[in-house]
Amino acid sequence: MMRQEYWTLMDPCCDYCLHSASNPCVKYVVCRVRGPFCHKSVMCRNRRQQRVKEVLYGPQGVRINVGASSCGLATGAEKVLEAVKDNLRSMGVEAEASAVGCLGLCFMEPFIEIRSEDGPSPIYGHVSPDNVGEIFAKYFEEGSVDGAFAIRRRTGRFKDEDKVPLLDELDVWRKQVKWVSRNCGVINPESIEEYIVSGGYEGLSRALMMKPEEVIEEIRLSGLRGRGGAGFPTWLKWKVCREQPSKEKYIICNADEGDPGAFMNRLLAESDPHRVLEGLIIAGYAIGASHGVIFVRAEKPLMAARLEKAVEDARKWGLLGENILGTGFNFDVRVMRSAGAFVCGEETAMIAAIEGRRAMPRQRPPYPASKGLWDKPTVVNNVETLAHVATIMAHGWQEFAKYGTERSRGTKMFCVTGGVKRTGAFEVPIGTTIRTLVCDIAGGPHEGRKIKAVQIGGPSGGCLPEKLFDLPIDYESLQEAGAIMGSGGLVVIDDSNCMVDVARYFTSFTLAESCGKCVPCRIGTKTLYDRLSAIVEGLGDPDDLRLLEEVGTTMKDAALCALGGTAPNPILSSLRYFKDEYEEHIVGKRCPAKVCSKLVTYDINRELCVKCGLCAKSCPANAIIKTDDGFFAVDQLKCIKCGTCFITCPRDAVEKR
Amino acid sequence: MNGERNSANLIESLQKLQERYGFLPKDALMELSKDGGAPLSRIFGVATFYHQFKLESPGKVLISVCMGTACHLRGNANNYEFLRRFLRIAPGKSVSDDGLFSLEKARCFGCCSLAPVVRVGDKLIGKATPRELQKIISQVRESILREEAVRGAGGDKT
Amino acid sequence: MKIRINGLEVEAKEGERILDVADRLGIRIPTLCYLRGIYEGASCRICVVELNNGKLIPACAYEVSDGLVLSTDTPRIRESRRLTLELLLSAHRISCQDCPKKGECALVELCSEYGVEGIPVCAECPLHEEDCFLGRGEICLGPITISGCKAECIRDGKLCEGCRGPVTRRDVLERGRAIYLEHGIPLETVLEKLKIYCASSREFDLIRERLMAREVIEK
Repeated sequence: MMRQEYWTLMDPCCDYCLHSASNPCVKYVVCRVRGPFCHKSVMCRNRRQQRVKEVLYGPQGVRINVGASSCGLATGAEKVLEAVKDNLRSMGVEAEASAVGCLGLCFMEPFIEIRSEDGPSPIYGHVSPDNVGEIFAKYFEEGSVDGAFAIRRRTGRFKDEDKVPLLDELDVWRKQVKWVSRNCGVINPESIEEYIVSGGYEGLSRALMMKPEEVIEEIRLSGLRGRGGAGFPTWLKWKVCREQPSKEKYIICNADEGDPGAFMNRLLAESDPHRVLEGLIIAGYAIGASHGVIFVRAEKPLMAARLEKAVEDARKWGLLGENILGTGFNFDVRVMRSAGAFVCGEETAMIAAIEGRRAMPRQRPPYPASKGLWDKPTVVNNVETLAHVATIMAHGWQEFAKYGTERSRGTKMFCVTGGVKRTGAFEVPIGTTIRTLVCDIAGGPHEGRKIKAVQIGGPSGGCLPEKLFDLPIDYESLQEAGAIMGSGGLVVIDDSNCMVDVARYFTSFTLAESCGKCVPCRIGTKTLYDRLSAIVEGLGDPDDLRLLEEVGTTMKDAALCALGGTAPNPILSSLRYFKDEYEEHIVGKRCPAKVCSKLVTYDINRELCVKCGLCAKSCPANAIIKTDDGFFAVDQLKCIKCGTCFITCPRDAVEKR
Repeated sequence: MNGERNSANLIESLQKLQERYGFLPKDALMELSKDGGAPLSRIFGVATFYHQFKLESPGKVLISVCMGTACHLRGNANNYEFLRRFLRIAPGKSVSDDGLFSLEKARCFGCCSLAPVVRVGDKLIGKATPRELQKIISQVRESILREEAVRGAGGDKT
Repeated sequence: MKIRINGLEVEAKEGERILDVADRLGIRIPTLCYLRGIYEGASCRICVVELNNGKLIPACAYEVSDGLVLSTDTPRIRESRRLTLELLLSAHRISCQDCPKKGECALVELCSEYGVEGIPVCAECPLHEEDCFLGRGEICLGPITISGCKAECIRDGKLCEGCRGPVTRRDVLERGRAIYLEHGIPLETVLEKLKIYCASSREFDLIRERLMAREVIEK
């Protein structure tokens, strides 16, 4: 279908419209969908409404969404998108193919969804370029939704609708509340138009009509707490900064999501970047800043690219820059890519990095809200926090405060990975129990395995054993139990993992990321790591447990920043709940989970051995010998327990004991 | 004040340099120091602090093993050890002895549901196993060597 | 403004750090890394003081605010300082005999004050190289004995008998071995002398193993 000059909702509908970036109209945003407001014209109104339909469902009323964020792309979504386009062409089906973000159902990537205004909207998982044809044949030619993972609604017009579950009936979906992630996996993240159709930038329009103090008040009433981990009341941070007398202020978006095992921010920023940007602009308005910086992790380039595109588009249509929406508010943003340092997640370290220095935190007070970037009052907010800000300003604080607990209102995104059936990113009301999240939504353990514990909060967090899974996930309850909410990364540990190995893993991470400035962290993490390494190799001392506690305590008390202060948490919490595993390693010189390679005996099972000799060839210690009857065996005296043979054997004939 | 603000561009300048050369050659850093006025010691201080910056010439293809939690739990520590041996990388070094591959431990990519994740060049491999890695790396090696043969060889190995 | 240190209400000025106020009042707060105007990064964490809410914060970098309440000497502070010193010492190359800071070393003083062991008596010995007992062929156990006695014997003109017990740190014992060999002192004689001051036969075996190490680490 030919369109003259590819008209979009962002464009003026006719010559009456005078909006431009240099001459902005205050009603610009709401006018995109519900306009025109400045003049009466049925034609213009129809044109807008027609375009809205096109945006939602494509020009022919059918749109195929292909999940193409990092997870999708890593599993081959690009090829799937191509296959979709090819199949549509070859089948002669008129539909639009669109790359969208992530639904958070990572366990079934790549996914596609066939959307139409009153169709069943089936979602298919584990899609490969090869089965696209089959899916389309079923849907377009047979009119069946058979093979779909779920459908959004039952229409009564398609075959097999009763065989496919409704998305809202599935545990993985119905226990979630998609408040801030509502657009993820639904809209094209590179289209500002789609964001606007979904209600985007209405929050900003509303905020700019209020006084900054009123915006802060709305956020206060909502009870929003920082979603980056500290849980500090957002409104309070803003208020302190607002009250600083300086004319120059900064707002920074912390998109440095560094916790291994956490990708909520990445998902949000890749799938709905404008929401984050909108929140940033609102925050800037509230505190009185005219410059914003989005600080993105080096390791997540797609996240940076999507945010940069969003900034570009917002600038183009006058939502960034001078005199935004004609309100006199000047604000611009730049995206900065970090060069890789976990410690940048700490406010003062991030500020140092933005200033081009080594990212070493400094003593606080003074807090960034009074003295931050370039010594000016600065607020640092997390990606998810800002996304909540935009959503709260658009829908009102009461909608947000409906969810959550008394002290922690609203919803939070969590990434559940590790030993569960359904890994992914899920949004639930704060206060949801660990069990609901891990067992109901994420589907519980893999076949034949039992869940031992869950690590919440990454390397700053702690592990909680299965018996505590009925605890609600909120800031206070978790802290009492020895963990922290952190940024929302939950890693499920099952009985094939070793708790001491996990503690050592986290300590090696903190050791590598320690900036080195203060004594407790610099030397403490090394001491902890050395002791844990000795323990997993069977060289531990009973005195080590006391040493770990002492060093851990001093780090918590005296370290300069939260990296050092929380580094001992994985160790202290696993000591609290899994002391027996430590004792097995130290006294028994055994690893119950058979993970710690030096405490494991390797042997070759003759019944499985095919005599290929690969193990012997790969053994770095020449400890595998050929027996008289051609099989291979491990010489236990020479074996250095590196585990190479175990990995190399093509028949899994090497056994660990 | 202007000079102060300029140091904000130091990280970005280094990123641009590394994009151009694949790493940060000492000469380029000295030039940067002369141009921008920042002392070489400060430039080195920043270059050595951040993980992204490499001061050693890398191999042709970068292999990054994600050290995220999920990836660790699902066996990436093993994958890393395997790769180190398979590529014959000496301890303390990061480049394979044929100069073709650089191996590094990378921070979390954020694709945890595909754990363990290994990136070979710009290809992200989910649920990586040593067998699969062996296959892919051998394929990549062959194609590089073929390319070089076609071009008539002659390039430096490092 | 008014702040309360150790129960005492005192005046303080805007912008002052806790350390400044304490200095003014003659309250001693030890520091290691702090150098006014040159380095105020609060890295060593030795100068920590305890706030009313239980948090430990560095006195050198914390600005006073009206109504601030803190203590400068509590068991928690002392424990924190002790552990921080242990950590520092564990990463420190101990070579007090020929260290230019011998006799005026803040680390030695603090370790002595907080009972952190590992520094040999040589660190406190007022004699210098030419006057060292070892140079006269006398078997002083200073290089391998735990310091903290303010080297009383040596100040009285007598050599160190090792009565505080031996240092068990490998690097100190290796250095001791090198010093004794340099001065031609037989290690067996040294071991005989310190035997009675070892806490157990197990400790003695450990010291002997490390002092008599077959391999000397060559640079």
